[in-house]
Amino acid sequence: MVVMGHGGAGKSTLCCSFNALIPKFFRGKYQGRVLVNGQEVARRQVAEMSRLVGLVLQDFEAQLFSTNVELEMAFGPENHCLLRPEIERRIQRYLTFVGLEKLRHREPASLSGGQKQRLAIGSVLVLEPKILVMDEPTTDLDPFGREEVLSVAKSIREEGRTLLIVDHEPETAVTADQIWLIRDGQIVSQGPPSEILVDGPTMESCGIKTLPMVELFHSMNWPGNPLTVERAIELIQRHNLTQRCERKVATVSTGHIKGSPILKAEGLRYIYPTYHVEALRGLDLFIREGEFIAILGQNGSGKTTLAKHFNGLLKPTSGRMLVQNKPTAEYSHRELSRWVGYVFQNPDHQIFARTVAEEVGFGLKMQGEILKTVEKRVAEVLEVVGLQGYEQKVPFVLTKGERQRVAVASVLAAQPQVIILDEPTTGLDYRHQRDMMEMLKRLNRYGHTIIIITHSMWVAAEYANRTIVMKDGFILSDGPTRTVFAEENQLAEASLSPPSLVRLSNWLGTEALTVQDMVQELKK
Amino acid sequence: MNIFLYLDKNTWIHRLDPRTKMIGVLIVFSICLCFNHPLYMAAISLGIMLVAISAKSLQNFWRLRFILILLIVFSTLMWPFFAKGPTPLWSMGSFQVSQESLLYGIAMGLRLATFVGTGLIFLSTTRNEELTNGLIRMGCPYPIAFALSTALRLVPTFAGAGATIIQAQVSRGLDLESGNIFSRVGKFIPQAVPLFIYAIRHTNLLAMALESKGFSPESKRTLYYEPRMRRIDFIVLLLLMVILILLLYIRLALHLGAIIPSRL
Repeated sequence: MVVMGHGGAGKSTLCCSFNALIPKFFRGKYQGRVLVNGQEVARRQVAEMSRLVGLVLQDFEAQLFSTNVELEMAFGPENHCLLRPEIERRIQRYLTFVGLEKLRHREPASLSGGQKQRLAIGSVLVLEPKILVMDEPTTDLDPFGREEVLSVAKSIREEGRTLLIVDHEPETAVTADQIWLIRDGQIVSQGPPSEILVDGPTMESCGIKTLPMVELFHSMNWPGNPLTVERAIELIQRHNLTQRCERKVATVSTGHIKGSPILKAEGLRYIYPTYHVEALRGLDLFIREGEFIAILGQNGSGKTTLAKHFNGLLKPTSGRMLVQNKPTAEYSHRELSRWVGYVFQNPDHQIFARTVAEEVGFGLKMQGEILKTVEKRVAEVLEVVGLQGYEQKVPFVLTKGERQRVAVASVLAAQPQVIILDEPTTGLDYRHQRDMMEMLKRLNRYGHTIIIITHSMWVAAEYANRTIVMKDGFILSDGPTRTVFAEENQLAEASLSPPSLVRLSNWLGTEALTVQDMVQELKK
Repeated sequence: MNIFLYLDKNTWIHRLDPRTKMIGVLIVFSICLCFNHPLYMAAISLGIMLVAISAKSLQNFWRLRFILILLIVFSTLMWPFFAKGPTPLWSMGSFQVSQESLLYGIAMGLRLATFVGTGLIFLSTTRNEELTNGLIRMGCPYPIAFALSTALRLVPTFAGAGATIIQAQVSRGLDLESGNIFSRVGKFIPQAVPLFIYAIRHTNLLAMALESKGFSPESKRTLYYEPRMRRIDFIVLLLLMVILILLLYIRLALHLGAIIPSRL
């Protein structure tokens, strides 16, 4: 079963009410009742419920706390007072199940994101609950980790356990038995995927992206409602809806950005001093003013390391990183923050002030601007990010999407030419993702160079005009987004695959990267 | 950076029961208190170094070399101010340094360094969970042992978050490289507040996860790593006790090994 809904719709609250965390852990007004296996949840303790309902929280980092994988797995059964041979047997069984038996003695902190999430799932599964509830298990993962977790989810289903997943991606829901759509704390519709996923307007109203194939077929007035690309291709062939053609090798792309060069990497190498890991292995890169760039790649491919060189947080081990033709090593952090702004993935890592205005004005104050300029600039950037009138609000109580905007605004206030954003859409629902990206597009139009690090393929496809794919500290491919996404084999080398619309576009031989473009192109 | 000192090796000290190691550390501490003559103290320090070698923990000694050296140097320089001895070595006005006080200072330095070294061997060879199990086995209530081990576990997590927070603030212009002591204190707030909030969120989530896995502090539970006292554990403890008694005999009955007998 898949539960979907906008941010703040009550999905996590629902999850917590299945295992008595609500009302036992979180107090509040509680009415009605939840029955699990015929038992009223509110009358039970959380520890009792753990025999029936397993809950995997979204933040897997916070759930792992043991010093090795084996002990992490043993924690639940220890609480249930199982005998040691039984614990041993279960650890063996479920470590194999989640595919971590080889990492049995490793420290959880040293695992990759996908492995950590699998361990978190394993450590709950080992209690053999009848029902497994997973709250956004793939949100914080790279595409590869996402695949790993979804394949574990598939085997759980095959075992005959009930599986309830909260997710933002409609693609996850395609194979579900049942989908619940939640809006503002209420279930607005429920049913099998073939009914729910084709209802575009209701999905949008719940803050979920419509499946591009459904949207395309709807806009083209083609018969059928394919949920996947494969199905769409089948329908197109069967009804002979349109003709495939050979995609002309792009001629328009490279020349159209004529901005002056702003960032330049020459033979950039970086080795992390504590781990002696070579994160960047000799990169050459050239970025012009006004570009909108997406950097793609799995975790550990060097994306973030590269981006941190752009604003001098890291200094190259060898080679050079030039900003405005001057090596970053010759700038102070303060000077550099005027040229290159860096928005970290988690806005909570930087928000500290009592009011939004203070938060956003912080960088300016650090640069010694007078109060009047600060106030004026703060008002300006809040308008740009769509938070006008928020000056006196307390930043901590805003929604995740709003906090993200505050973080962007606080970087923007220093008016840097280049803005780097690490995972700007992660953890936001579809509507807020759109808002965020539209805002970046606007900034790009005002002349800012935008660089985003992202795992979201459709975000890259729809917004970036240039895409860089990284793997193992090298640049695997770099070029206009359409060209990069046309090379499906090369993307597969980095364990990435283009979003479904682009895959169809590749198959049809069209230029389109968005549904609207494809509709226009096909109608021509 | 890894703050954990545990080294995943398989030596005889790693295999000892955590209780043996905890009691052993206490006995070694007492042994260190037996003498204040630098030569006798040096012999004990050397013994601890040999244990460290056989526990393959020297890499941690190397990591903390500055602290160890600093302890010895400071102690040697500071003690002559406080301890008085009969043989004057050097004097200036009413202040004088005696030969005994200097030697005493060296011995105290070695003693402190040996304390730290012993603790270091313990931490290099004992897992967090073993420590908890050992404490429980020795009668410490589970909630307290669990709180202790969780606190230890969270240190590196928070250190990691702290590093990210500093980077985030530096990249929007927080200048940590200059300023006097007062402006530096002011710059502490943008780092501390997000860390506090992070810590609160993180521990809240952790509590949820623990409860969801059936944890309740009062009830009984199995221990997957069951520490067991084996013959070697008893031999080690017995040996340490014998050494302690022997050394006490040397100091108290034979009056050897003290440079200033009136002091510990």
